[in-house]
Amino acid sequence: MTKTLDHLSRLENQSIFIIREAYSQFRNIAMLWSIGKDSTTLMWLVRKAFFGKVPFAVLHIDTGYKFKEIYDFRDTYAQQWGINLMVVKNDEAIAQGVCPKTGKFECCNQLKTEALKQTMDKYKFKALYLGIRRDEHGIRAKERVFSTRDEDFEWDYKNQSPELWDQYKTKATHEEHIRVHPLLGWTELDIWQYILRENIPIVSLYFAKQGRRYRSIGCETCCSPVASQADTVEKIVEELQTSTISERSGRAQDKESAYIMQKLRSLGYM
Amino acid sequence: MSCMGRTVFIGLDGVPHGLLKRLADDGTMPHCRRLFEIGNLHCIASTIPDISSVAWSSIITGKNPAEHGIFGFVDIPINTYRISFPNYLSLKSKPFWEKSEGRSVILNVPSTFPVREMNGVHISGFVSLDLERSVYPPGLLSQVKALDYKVDVDAEKAHVSMDMFLSDLDKTLTARGKVCDHLWQHEKWDTFMIVFTGTDRLMHFLWDAYEDEEHWYYKAFRGHFSKVDAIVGSIIDRLNDNDILVMCSDHGMEHLDKNVYVNAILKEHGFLHYDPALKGGFANIDGRTKAFSLDPARIYLNKRGKFPRGCVAPNDEEKIIEDICELFQRYAVGGKAVCKAIYRKKEIFHGPFIDLAPDIVLIGNEGINLHSGLTAENTSEETIFSGKHTQHDAFLYVRGRDKCPSVKEGFNVSNIIGYIDSLKAERWR
Ligand SMILES: [Zn+2]
Repeated sequence: MTKTLDHLSRLENQSIFIIREAYSQFRNIAMLWSIGKDSTTLMWLVRKAFFGKVPFAVLHIDTGYKFKEIYDFRDTYAQQWGINLMVVKNDEAIAQGVCPKTGKFECCNQLKTEALKQTMDKYKFKALYLGIRRDEHGIRAKERVFSTRDEDFEWDYKNQSPELWDQYKTKATHEEHIRVHPLLGWTELDIWQYILRENIPIVSLYFAKQGRRYRSIGCETCCSPVASQADTVEKIVEELQTSTISERSGRAQDKESAYIMQKLRSLGYM
Repeated sequence: MSCMGRTVFIGLDGVPHGLLKRLADDGTMPHCRRLFEIGNLHCIASTIPDISSVAWSSIITGKNPAEHGIFGFVDIPINTYRISFPNYLSLKSKPFWEKSEGRSVILNVPSTFPVREMNGVHISGFVSLDLERSVYPPGLLSQVKALDYKVDVDAEKAHVSMDMFLSDLDKTLTARGKVCDHLWQHEKWDTFMIVFTGTDRLMHFLWDAYEDEEHWYYKAFRGHFSKVDAIVGSIIDRLNDNDILVMCSDHGMEHLDKNVYVNAILKEHGFLHYDPALKGGFANIDGRTKAFSLDPARIYLNKRGKFPRGCVAPNDEEKIIEDICELFQRYAVGGKAVCKAIYRKKEIFHGPFIDLAPDIVLIGNEGINLHSGLTAENTSEETIFSGKHTQHDAFLYVRGRDKCPSVKEGFNVSNIIGYIDSLKAERWR
């Protein structure tokens, strides 16, 4: 148990350091808040870093296809935490019906990228905090804590070095902004253990209802719920820590089918 | 020991010919490198479709899918729209170990769950529901459990934490190596077969780590292959000169750019009708449906008399098949054709179970991973997976350069068992 706390405290300290450092370097920085567990954890860390305040603008990209729970959560806590919230919308794309309700990476990315680009340009933000984790996506495994973006928001990881602040500052010309990833080293399990430890409020979609819960709620990743009985943070932590699907499987025919289905899905079939 | 020697058959699931050669050359797999100097490495084709359940079933039986009856990990039995999961009980031809007289040790061959009585030891591979029904003889179960054996890595972990997945992958491989060692030493056998399946899982999640030296998991990727190589090394060190050693993969692998959803395309073009809002998947297919697809890209006509709401009359079949082939020939995503090849049933399947075979099978173009779930709302998407199967670029390795019959053009995985038999015949002479 102590080991876990130490581990979380270490992650917390690192993240807070990165948050403060980026702020002192850039000032004109913003944060992306998807209202999901990761960026809400990031928000919590920001508030810790600046003693309860959020000293910069917080952007929420509204694809128009979010769940009601997300809007309710956003509005409640934006007010409670005194957040300078900027809702970013790409009305043009929405009007074209770019992204369906459960849309995944590509279409949403288009929506988000475009909307974000417009906003970054308009307010001349130099840098942006994001709550991404290295283990979240195969494509993110090569992300760095800080990364430069060129005009087209392409990955440019080969042209960057991980920690040289000065180099970043000089590189941050008009055309690009810096992305700061304070949660990069966190895992899904770390996030949930930290949420548990800190009692961070989280959108109810993450908790199981009728045997299903959402594991991620952003548009970037799959929005379909997974089979789960975890209806509290404790149970989610426990689920991630201990339960492999094999332990959950029973003997009944449909349970076996569900088990096989889940196995195949986790390997990308179906 | 017979003067003929024993047969050792090592499977590396999903490992492409090209990757194996490269990792042998760059020092990641020194034991394989040593082997390649004293034997022949061939590039061969997988089955169509290029999926492990089909390919391994063809490898162990030497048969076409329409002969062994396994066409994928999922199926829809005639007269239903219910998804079923074919397993070892559905395999309609005998695997080689049930046809030979000798004693066999068979470890981790995919799609051989649940195990049944045989002459030797059989521990089944993916998909396995529990260890109890995966180990024959049952008396071996406690020993297998004591070695912490599990059939497959928990791929679910990769969706939580890549580090957790990699550590589980490593544990699974370590235990597999221990069980392999145990069986090698304590069992009597004439044929010993082991399949390493972690390679396939690793490549699905981290193919980009193979290609990119700066990738966070570049070392971890090669590390797994080195460890597989070390186990292979420990096997070859214990071989006699007259033992036959064969290694193969069941399909190739390449970089994955995009998932493309066959059913979404069929729906978009009016071949498939169902309400995605309803639960129950294929059970929602309605009576206007002309065709649907099962993973990875096996298209079935919704034939009258074959399926509950089948509407395609025998006279219309040819035309619909033609229209669908035409659709997929020209279908492109981001300017790139989604199909590399399109096969009609009769071109690729032969055997008594041809009526159960798909009418069309599509092979995805380079980087295009064809899928046939029903839940996708878009025709294509990015995915967290970075590697996909290929029908080309599987491999076959045979130790000993002399007395090896040639591997002919068009050789595919279903020819391997016949090839091994001819090797035995050659040595017998
Ligand atoms: Zn695979």
